[in-house]
Amino acid sequence: MFSPISLEAAVVVLGLFLLLFEAFSTEPDKSRIAWLGIAGLGTILVLSFFTQAPENAAWMRFYTADPLAMFFKRFALVTTIIVLVMALEYRGVVTKFIFGVSPQSGLGEFFALPVLTCAGLMWMASAIDFTLIFVSVELVTISFYVLVAYMRRNTASLEAGVKYLILGALSTGFFVYGITWIFGVTGETNLDLIAAAIPHLEGSKVPLLFGFMLVIVALGFKIAAAPFQLWVPDVYQGAPTPITAFLSVGSKAAGFVVLIRLVNTFMDVPLVREKVVGTMFVLAALTLIYGNLAALPQTNLKRLLAYSSIAHAGYLLVAAASFGATGARDAIAFYLAGYLLMTLLTFLVMIVVANRTGGDDIAHFAGLSRRSPWLAFAMLVAMASLAGIPFTVGFFGKFFVFVAAYKQHQYLLIGIGLITVASGFYYYLKVVRAMYWDAPADDSRIHAQPFTNAIIATLVALIFVLGVYPRPIFDLLKVKPLMTKFALR
Amino acid sequence: MLKDYLPVLIQALVALGFAVGTLVVSVLLGRSARRNAMKDSAYECGMIPQGEAQPRFSVKFYLVAMLFILFDVEVVFMYPWALNYRDSLREHGPMIFWSMFSFIGIVTVGYVYALKKGVLEWKN
Repeated sequence: MFSPISLEAAVVVLGLFLLLFEAFSTEPDKSRIAWLGIAGLGTILVLSFFTQAPENAAWMRFYTADPLAMFFKRFALVTTIIVLVMALEYRGVVTKFIFGVSPQSGLGEFFALPVLTCAGLMWMASAIDFTLIFVSVELVTISFYVLVAYMRRNTASLEAGVKYLILGALSTGFFVYGITWIFGVTGETNLDLIAAAIPHLEGSKVPLLFGFMLVIVALGFKIAAAPFQLWVPDVYQGAPTPITAFLSVGSKAAGFVVLIRLVNTFMDVPLVREKVVGTMFVLAALTLIYGNLAALPQTNLKRLLAYSSIAHAGYLLVAAASFGATGARDAIAFYLAGYLLMTLLTFLVMIVVANRTGGDDIAHFAGLSRRSPWLAFAMLVAMASLAGIPFTVGFFGKFFVFVAAYKQHQYLLIGIGLITVASGFYYYLKVVRAMYWDAPADDSRIHAQPFTNAIIATLVALIFVLGVYPRPIFDLLKVKPLMTKFALR
Repeated sequence: MLKDYLPVLIQALVALGFAVGTLVVSVLLGRSARRNAMKDSAYECGMIPQGEAQPRFSVKFYLVAMLFILFDVEVVFMYPWALNYRDSLREHGPMIFWSMFSFIGIVTVGYVYALKKGVLEWKN
C-alpha cells in the first residue's frame, strides 16, 4: 500500500527516463522506447489498485484520491498505453515527415511525450485546487502543442499545430482570468473552500458567475463543446492520427473531470445553481446540434470523427446539465469509459487500414470486408457503438445520460438528444456501407501486428461485455468505506 | 461604485475618438487614394529599406533563449524558497526539501537531455 500521488511521480520518472534513454541510446530502432513506455505504464496501472490515501497529508488541499479520481487515472493510463500501440503502427508515416540524419532520428520523443501528457491527465483527475488544475492542464496542453505539430514537414500537421497553439493560449488566458475573478470574490482557490464560501457571499453574484463563465470557456475548449469547437476539425485532421485519438479521448475525459468538480462547487446555492445549470443546458444543446449536423456531409473519416467527438461532448454535457440527479456523475464516467473503447478502436483500425490504402477518407475503406473481414468487423462494432445501437457500450452510455436528464426534467435536452442520435445513425453507418457494400480498390489483404490485433480484440470484447453488463464500471466508481472521508460531496 | 470609473470611460472614448478622428481626417485631407511603390514600402527613418523584414536566423538562438528562460525562472522560483527555508523547515519537515529537490532534478534531466541533443553545439 502506498500513496496515490506516487503514481503520478512514477509516470513522470518513466517519461524522463524515456527522454534520457532516447538521448543516450545509440540504438537506431526507436520502437524500444514505445515498448518500454507501454510496459512501464502497464505496471503503474496494476500498481494503481494497491494504493491508499494517507489520512492527513499537506498535499490533500490540492489533491484528492477519491474513486472518481482513481477511475480517471486508470482511464488516462489505459488511453496512453493504447495511444503508444497506435504510435508504433503509425511510425512509418511520422518518419516520412520528420526525416533527419538517420531514418528514425527524432522519432523517440513521439513515444516519450505521451507519457508526460499522461502524468498531466492523471493530475487533472485529482486536482481540487485551481492552482493544481491550472498547472496540470498546462502540462497536458503544452505537450499536445508539440505532439500535434510533430510531423514538421507536413503542412497539415503544422497548420493544426499553429491553430491549436493560438487557440489553446487564448483559452488559457480565459482560464486564468476566470480563476482570478473567482479568487477575487471568494478569496480561495480550493474548490471545497470556494463551495463553502459561496453561501456567505454578500451582494451581487455576477462577478462570481462571470469568473465561472470564463473558466467554462477554457474548459469548453478542452472538451470540444460548441461554440468553442472551431479548432477541432482542422486540428483533428492535421495531427498525427494517434495524437488525434489521444486528444479526443484523454484531453476530453480530463476536461470533464475538472468540469464535474467545478460544477459541483457551484451547486449549493439555488440562485447560482440555476445559472450554472442554465449554462450547461445551452452548451449541451448547441454542441449536440452543431456536432451532429456538421458530421452529416463529411467524407474524411478523421474529420467525421472530429465532429463526432463534438457530438459526444454534447451528450456528456446533457449529463452535466442534469447535475443533482443521482447518477449524473456516474453517467458521465460510464459514457467516457465507453467512448474510450469505441473511439480508440476506430482510430486503431483506421491507422492499420490507412497504412495500406494511403489515406483516411471514407472511400479508402471501400470493400474492407473483402480485404480484411476481421478489421471490417471491428470497425463495424466501433461504429455501431458510437451510433448507440443496443448490446454495445455506446447504447448504455446514452441511456444512462438520458435517465439522468429525465430525473432532472430536462425534457427539451432529451428531445434534442434523441433527434441527434438518429442523425448519428446516418453518418456512422455511412462508413459501414463503404466497408461492406462498396467495391474495393484492390483485393490485397490487410493485416495488423499481432499485439495490435490483441488490443483490437480486447476493445471489441469490452464493448460487448459492458454493453450487456455495465456493472463493473459503476463498481469502480463506488466509494469504498475506507475512503468516504475524501468522497465528493 | 460604477461612477468612479467614469473618468476611465471618458479616457477610453477620447483615445478611441482621437484614433478614429485622425484616420478620418487623413483620409479626407490626404491623397490616400493615390498609391505608389514608394508609398507602400516600409518606413525606416527615411532610409530605403533593405532586405527582408523578417530575416531567417538559426533555430539555435531560440533554443538558447529557451534554456535561458528556463533557468531564469528556476532561480526566481528558488529565491523565495531559500528565504523561507529555515522558517518552514520546522513545520513541513523534509517535504519542503524534497519538493525543491525533485523540481531541480526534473530541470536537470531536461538540461542533460538538451546537452546530449547538441543544443549548445554551434559548429554544425
